[in-house]
Amino acid sequence: MIGGGISGISASLSLARQGIKTCLIEEQPTIGGAMVKVGKLFSPEKLVEECAMCLLNPLVNEAVEHQNIGILTNTTLKSAERRSGNFNLLIESKPRMVIEDRCISCGSCAEVCPVEVKDSWNEGMTIRKAIYKPFAQAVPDVYTIDLENCKKCGKCQDVCRMNAIDLEMEGEIIPMTVGSVVIATGHKTFDMAKRPEYSYGRHEDIVTQMELARIMGVNGPTKGKLLKPSNNKVPERVVMVQCVGSRDEKPGGRKYCSKVCCMVAIKHANVIKQHYPDTDVIICYNDMRTPGMYEKYFKYAQSNGVRLIRGRPGEIAEKNGIFTVRLEDTLSKEPLEIETDLVVLSTAMEPSKGTIDVSGILDVGLTEELFVKEKHSKIKPVATEVEGIFVCGTAQGPKDITDSIVQANAAASKVSELINGGVELEPFVASIDPSKCKLCRKCIDVCKYKAAYIQDEVLTVDPISCTGCGACLWECNNDAIEIMGQTDEQIMAMITGMLKDKKPHENRIIAFLDSVGYVSADNIGINKIDVPNSIRIIKIPSMNRIMPKHVLHAFKMGADGIIMGEYPYNLMYSRTKEKIRGLKRELLKNNINPDRLVFYKVYIPYFRGLASKFNEFDGKIKCLEN
Amino acid sequence: MKTIKLQNNSLKLVKDVLKDLKASPDLGIYKCVQCGMCTSVCPGASQTEYDPRDMIRRVLEDDETVIDDENIWNCFSCYTCNSICPSGNNASEINQILRQMSIDKGEGIQKIVSFSAYGDSFMELGVGSIPNTFFDVMVKDVGPEYMNLKLNIEDIRADLGLGSYILPEEAINEVESILDNSGFKNRLERIKRCKK
Repeated sequence: MIGGGISGISASLSLARQGIKTCLIEEQPTIGGAMVKVGKLFSPEKLVEECAMCLLNPLVNEAVEHQNIGILTNTTLKSAERRSGNFNLLIESKPRMVIEDRCISCGSCAEVCPVEVKDSWNEGMTIRKAIYKPFAQAVPDVYTIDLENCKKCGKCQDVCRMNAIDLEMEGEIIPMTVGSVVIATGHKTFDMAKRPEYSYGRHEDIVTQMELARIMGVNGPTKGKLLKPSNNKVPERVVMVQCVGSRDEKPGGRKYCSKVCCMVAIKHANVIKQHYPDTDVIICYNDMRTPGMYEKYFKYAQSNGVRLIRGRPGEIAEKNGIFTVRLEDTLSKEPLEIETDLVVLSTAMEPSKGTIDVSGILDVGLTEELFVKEKHSKIKPVATEVEGIFVCGTAQGPKDITDSIVQANAAASKVSELINGGVELEPFVASIDPSKCKLCRKCIDVCKYKAAYIQDEVLTVDPISCTGCGACLWECNNDAIEIMGQTDEQIMAMITGMLKDKKPHENRIIAFLDSVGYVSADNIGINKIDVPNSIRIIKIPSMNRIMPKHVLHAFKMGADGIIMGEYPYNLMYSRTKEKIRGLKRELLKNNINPDRLVFYKVYIPYFRGLASKFNEFDGKIKCLEN
Repeated sequence: MKTIKLQNNSLKLVKDVLKDLKASPDLGIYKCVQCGMCTSVCPGASQTEYDPRDMIRRVLEDDETVIDDENIWNCFSCYTCNSICPSGNNASEINQILRQMSIDKGEGIQKIVSFSAYGDSFMELGVGSIPNTFFDVMVKDVGPEYMNLKLNIEDIRADLGLGSYILPEEAINEVESILDNSGFKNRLERIKRCKK
């Protein structure tokens, strides 16, 4: 489990409860991720905010106690390779410089540490020492030395009664073989340096929603009081700006909706209204997106007197400590300036660096926006391009805690299916003849299923990933690949059989269909639709398997035409069209009319279309002269 | 009450705008979400009734009266709306297309008559320069140093080590010939006739 936020913790617990040994690795010195920082949570069915720590802590404790879960903090994934369905991982642990078993978390070390740095756990609004524990309830409950800032003065060592500090401690590389990997590496928030028009960073009282969450967190810089960072006074007005960096096509912007910001803004507005009814709260929004039951919480905010103005601010200016938020009230068609003393920016959710790094190491695909790409958003929402690797939480796309937990449990159940249920495979899998393979890697480059890899100087195919599509056969100049169960001899024999005993003046057409095309052809029969009796169907996993020699053999054995039918939404389809052109060129070279070979897209419900294609092609063949 | 009638080709105006020679190929007018970010930063909108967001809404709603709206003439073509638009749209560009439509209809031509002196400047000097009819308002906006700059431009340029900005006779004739052959001259005459 890569990532120790709410997604990684939830998925680990589900797996552990099913008896599956799980190792949870976390880059930070403590687990809990973004959820521990947000303080208060919104929920679909409730009109109250829940305490994040109260929900998370029991889960964290259970994870710590559970015998099937091992937690490694300060740890990242270093490298990964696959071997027949398993993954060999190398995990790198940064030295904590504090011996976990000895530290009793007394804090004497931090008291004497002379190095002061901005505390990232409070979004830089407070100061911590170079030896620190991020927050009181941190798990593991031990101090950590921040190596970037530690001066190794040794003062902490002098005061530590437990002899727990080891300034010579070295990092560790841990090898590990696992059956499955879950990516739960989370998100980061939009870099405000890209939008200088909002003056963020120039004024302390222009903050992000996460900073506001820390300000209002009881364990935050103001112990939960809503005070302006500049002067510790309660703001008279809070203006929230939605879609900062989201739904934004400008350079550096994010084209998508970050999904949670409307609810986050409403949550903070409600919390402010409950505790500071005299503070005016205005949310400047584009579209208020509170789908499903969240709408009730939105109505609740309205009833609390939260004000809403429909318009997207273009600029925030400051004069004498008063901010002016400029926008158009688009409903009343009025350019508007709102004066305020606190501005809160609802920044976009972006893929974290960890998400991008880990995806690179594991060789899983990313979306255009650099989130981890799922295999199919509907039927395989937690599977990645690589068999055995799953994704959940905000590593896969912007989502709230509720959705992250749902997805984490889905990922856990998919891992469990794989580990407890085993795998059923089609027999059509590529096999390599190592005596012929020259390790040129062309097959590895072409395979979008990422089934081929080199292990100990030998080209290997992962049978769980390979679909037997045959695209690699085209690339191999050394004739080193065969598809088991669909060898050239077998395909040639099927073709010969289909053309056996052909009578003079009789037309025969070979139809190579993939599994979707084959079901479609079955439906033609079930629905008693007429097709010409010239059609002879051969089922093939993918049109990539059909090579010039097969086509030429068919014509040599007397075929009058060839139809190839494939479902267009498979991973390798992009190559199919190019292949068909290659086959036609090959026919031309051998003095065969290229019109005798056609390609159609096939769909299961569109069997009438396939039947009419059969009829059409049969008619066309009859008119061809050569 | 407004009614959106059946069989009404409700995208005619937006299609005409997109077909215009001036329209960028990636003009994001259909993607407008009416957020008003353009209006929030528009200097024209802050001083007049011009509203770039509303202008785009009217184009999208096939409201051809927008072409006759006086307010479209309050755009400064500063392109701030374009630089801030999160949907890849460009209100300035759409504004210019609508103005051209208004000119083609004949009504907008009055709006550009006072700018015809710019055209004369191109014809006479080969370069565009602020016509002297605008000097008074420039002094009002910029201050008395504006006149100083205008009157002593050659000396100031010489002090800065810059050559004369007056083009050679040959170049001026060449520019005039281009403007004549491309129809600019005719067009300018047509605009000037409207003055009377």
